[in-house]
Amino acid sequence: MSIGEAIRHAPNAYVPVPVRIGHTARDIDGVFTWVLEPSEPFAFAPGQFNMLYAHGVGEVPISISGDPNDSSSLHHTIRVVGSVTQALGALEVGHEVGVRGPFGSAWPLAEASGQDVLFVAGGLGLAPLRPAILSVLARRNEFGQVIIIYGARSPADILFRNELERWRGRFDITLEATVDHSGTDWYGPVGVVTRLVAEADIDPEYCLAMLCGPEIMMRFTARELEQRGLDASQIWVSLERSMKCAVGLCGHCQLGGTFVCKDGPVYRYDRVASMLLVRGL
Amino acid sequence: MEDLESILNRHAFLADLKPEHVKLIVGCAKNLRFRPGEFLAREGQKEACMYLIRRGTVAIETHAPNGEPICIETLMPGDVLGISWVTPAKAHFDCRARDTVIAFSLDHDCLQRKMSEDPALGFAITSRLLDNTYQRLSRLRLQQLDVYR
Repeated sequence: MSIGEAIRHAPNAYVPVPVRIGHTARDIDGVFTWVLEPSEPFAFAPGQFNMLYAHGVGEVPISISGDPNDSSSLHHTIRVVGSVTQALGALEVGHEVGVRGPFGSAWPLAEASGQDVLFVAGGLGLAPLRPAILSVLARRNEFGQVIIIYGARSPADILFRNELERWRGRFDITLEATVDHSGTDWYGPVGVVTRLVAEADIDPEYCLAMLCGPEIMMRFTARELEQRGLDASQIWVSLERSMKCAVGLCGHCQLGGTFVCKDGPVYRYDRVASMLLVRGL
Repeated sequence: MEDLESILNRHAFLADLKPEHVKLIVGCAKNLRFRPGEFLAREGQKEACMYLIRRGTVAIETHAPNGEPICIETLMPGDVLGISWVTPAKAHFDCRARDTVIAFSLDHDCLQRKMSEDPALGFAITSRLLDNTYQRLSRLRLQQLDVYR
């Protein structure tokens, strides 16, 4: 195929493709997961996101939360926070949503191969990490220890609870979940994720950490990991900024000399650590 | 069988404490076991000792009228409990064993006396308490931000 033909056949990054909603499920209060049914196989790398378009309302960037080994369906986990996500939440099975993507950088799974892998997720941050966790579990023997640490606001706010419980039952991974506060219905730890990170059984020399959650949580966690002996280059974070075009042109998501939509959302921590300390950036 | 001194020496709070200091405080220490649900400290009561948790989980709790207890934080092996003894304050929270808890108790009158007699021991224990308190304060500050909302 000539370059001209390739360009003509390439999907237009600016044009949303209509995709049917095949299944929808409420995860926790204000959060739901869609299983979309793309008409053609949809390949993506763990950590990437799509722009989802609610017809006539607007477009939002949403991480892909499904299994990267299954290109026949597309999972998105969405929290209702504004007018677009509210409009998306009103859609039902059989409706169509506009999809542009996938966009952005991916979790460094190839680099993690042969090393211990530590996933630290907070709140809805488990959704963008889920494809990476599923990939690691699918190729479990390629990695050293696999540790997942998850923090939520309360037991009722634990995302993908059934799946977390299933993973916790495996003999080949360690999973710890903590909540910020609880009643008597919770038997796990109460406190912030950094506490569990401090206790995690990792070998700092051969460990790669992937963090996703509120930025403050990731900063504190990265600091804890550095105290444990990890270099900032062994830590990866997924950042959020206001993304509009998703191809690095509009500049809404600029972070220093980078665009989060194009150079991120997954960054190596040493490349962004100093920028995360700049107020208002 | 291991003696109290060597087990005490292995607790994270006392890590790297000079052997002569461990010998000094061993006289203030008891090895205790708490059944699930048993309280190590109660809100409003003066704490007579400090606990070094060896095994099990302790919930720091409070409660609202007609409400269930609210757990604010859980403490794990390696943690210290009952640090209000360094101030005139009484305990602010209930501390309840979630499961079987094994802990060293350090009698505070005894410990305080030995810390006064040996300022180097006093400094070593106070530094550790300050570090522990700072770590807990940092965690609670992060928790207070309610970042997952």
